[in-house]
Amino acid sequence: MNLFQSEIYLQNKEVILIITLILGILIFSTSLFFIWGKIKPTSNLVELKMRTKSWWMMASIFIFATVVHPIVSFIAFGLLSFVSFREINSISKNVREEDRRVIIWCYIAIPIQYFLAYKGWFNIFVIFIPVIMYVWIPFMLVIKGATEDIARSMSILPTQLMLTVFSISHLAFLLSLPELSGFNAGGRGLLLFIVFITEINDVFQFVWGKLFGRHKIIEKISPNKTWEGFIGGIVTTAIIGYFLRFLTPMNGTEAIMVSLLIAFSGFVGDIILSAIKRDAGLKDTGTAIPGHGGILDRIDSLALTAPAFFYVIYNLYYV
Amino acid sequence: MRNFLRIIVGVKFINKESLKKEKQFIIVANHNSHLDVMAIMSSLSFHQLKNTHPIAAGDYFGNSKVKSYITRLFTNAILIRRSKSNGTENPIETMNKAIQKGKSLILFPEGSRGEPGKMQEFKKGIGILLQMNPTIPFIPVYMKGMGKVLPKGEKLLVPFDTYVAFGEPILITSTDISTIIIDVEKEIINLEKKLA
Repeated sequence: MNLFQSEIYLQNKEVILIITLILGILIFSTSLFFIWGKIKPTSNLVELKMRTKSWWMMASIFIFATVVHPIVSFIAFGLLSFVSFREINSISKNVREEDRRVIIWCYIAIPIQYFLAYKGWFNIFVIFIPVIMYVWIPFMLVIKGATEDIARSMSILPTQLMLTVFSISHLAFLLSLPELSGFNAGGRGLLLFIVFITEINDVFQFVWGKLFGRHKIIEKISPNKTWEGFIGGIVTTAIIGYFLRFLTPMNGTEAIMVSLLIAFSGFVGDIILSAIKRDAGLKDTGTAIPGHGGILDRIDSLALTAPAFFYVIYNLYYV
Repeated sequence: MRNFLRIIVGVKFINKESLKKEKQFIIVANHNSHLDVMAIMSSLSFHQLKNTHPIAAGDYFGNSKVKSYITRLFTNAILIRRSKSNGTENPIETMNKAIQKGKSLILFPEGSRGEPGKMQEFKKGIGILLQMNPTIPFIPVYMKGMGKVLPKGEKLLVPFDTYVAFGEPILITSTDISTIIIDVEKEIINLEKKLA
């Protein structure tokens, strides 16, 4: 099996273009902060430098996923879900000691979900976690027999699966979508589009918020989120989405609407995960990616943008 | 083994470099799981691994020949008896001999694996051993979450994010056994506070 599909890949001009663009932006910002730090050693660039570092990591993961054989990509996404689920499950103070044997079922669900995505069996892929696991986990908890706080575990475990496995697996399913005539970039293009737009939205909500942020949206959950950052972010994201529409089968209007949807759902995913972390008494979850504290901090917006984007594209072009 | 712990179990090693600072040491750690020994040993270098022996309960790991053989093969553990019995060597003496030979030890002064997340009172052995060897530093280690991955009496391993925090090597300053024990305990509790 040829793991690196270089031939297919080199013919795909759109994908090459966007990867060059991503690497260009990263090299630009890394060298900018490096020179800035040399000229003005007093300025505090630690946070920005750390952020660039973790963007390098995210970019390498997703670019790698588009270059190699799909099987490797599916395994990589599965691992991402696995690590995210482990993190969200570990920080939760609501998981009981009696639940440990049931948690194994959640881990078993991960390869199954990615296998369904790999096979492209859409009808079972969409119901496996929200319907089947939603019943199977409470069933296993009941069999285990410890009833104190059992209702809490019944709702927490499926929710954790939804946020970390169901959502991220939609990124993988993009690679299983059939070819459309007249649309070259294919699933790889869609994957790069959603990840890039989600990250851009994160970046610009952060940048606009830092520059002009005055009015807080929900101070109790996420004190750094401001109306200025939010609006600046979604407008910038919509503009960039419009220019990157060549990665997707969308026309201009659709690209703007979908980018707005991604920007909004990215914001929602971000604050949902923030609230969960706050409940666990944590600001950052884990230490896997420098600067962001943990995997969850990176996938928080993707957890909502991936399914949102997927279902819009699927219903517009693949039904 | 280290990669298995890191990727599958989700163990995060903190300040592992402090192990490289000394040639001979006594690692003192809290004890919640069979994984504890694996986690500590997987952070040692190959050379250190040969010269480091975890101290294990002979009455648990040595109660059958197969069990004791496997334990010694995989961890090169020194087995000691926890309960007093006639005709066997004093466990402190066994450990002291190993130290005289230049070996490093891994000790769990709680004596047995406690409930997840709770520390039990330290046994005296560590105090006596450090008092006998005041030139050997001890390295405090605190492990968080191991008891959730593989608690006492469970055979099924469930992944959880766990932390292994290493303290700096420390020489004892007192000659009184109970003061030494309190000092060691304090160092481990300090690590616990840093993690929280």
